[in-house]
Amino acid sequence: MSDLQVKMQSLSEDFTKLQKELQEAITSRQKLEAQMQENLGVQKEFGQLKDDETIYKLIGPVLLKQERSDAESTVNGRLEFIRKEISRLEPLIEETQTKIERKKGEIIQLQTSAQQAGAGAGGAGGGGKPKAVAA
Amino acid sequence: MNRRMLTKAEEEAAGEEIEVRREDQDKINKFSRLHQHELSIEEELKGKNKEKEELDDITTELELAEEEDLVPYKIGDAFFHVQLPQAQEMLAVSGAKVEEQIDELEEKLGTIREEMTQLKVELYARFGRTINLET
Repeated sequence: MSDLQVKMQSLSEDFTKLQKELQEAITSRQKLEAQMQENLGVQKEFGQLKDDETIYKLIGPVLLKQERSDAESTVNGRLEFIRKEISRLEPLIEETQTKIERKKGEIIQLQTSAQQAGAGAGGAGGGGKPKAVAA
Repeated sequence: MNRRMLTKAEEEAAGEEIEVRREDQDKINKFSRLHQHELSIEEELKGKNKEKEELDDITTELELAEEEDLVPYKIGDAFFHVQLPQAQEMLAVSGAKVEEQIDELEEKLGTIREEMTQLKVELYARFGRTINLET
């Protein structure tokens, strides 16, 4: 019986960890999407600039003049990086979701076999007792 | 989430359950409050450090600028064209202010952490393995 509890606890911990990983990946993906939109907007603006117009970059409280070529390559570089990150995260998200489904299956399987064993041995015992828990 | 729960065997080995007195609960609550405070100050500190870094960057950049250039300096929501020396002075003033804020925050953080360590000592002394204070 106790073995079962230990296994169940370990599976639950794994499951919670996977959910946390998934949530972090999703949040990062959303952040990247926002950054991409912002940089695409800037790129579009650059496309509409006349040759004699000046580009400034905000660093701290100061607007610093930028060479058009520098500004464009910075934005293009950033978009490259963002695209790479997104294509790294998307398969990771899918993979994590698959792992979560699998883990759910394992937990359900364990629960069913616990119930069957419990029906035979006369009830499963309680789990460990947590004490006063701080944040 | 780092829940270290006792197994049934460990629970039995722990012996008699220690009573949670009013003062114990107060300490636990205080620990929790301090921890939340710690997290919030750490966030603020991150922001301030980023601000300081930006100010340092632009200060360096301006050292390479021409004396007669007018620097667009952001005050509130508006930009004012100022002479280079004035901009550098304003940056220095802002930089010093942020440094001061950073020092204050770090000091507060130190105090909070000290208090938390003290509470940990007291609570672990009383409850041993039946309490988990790892953040």
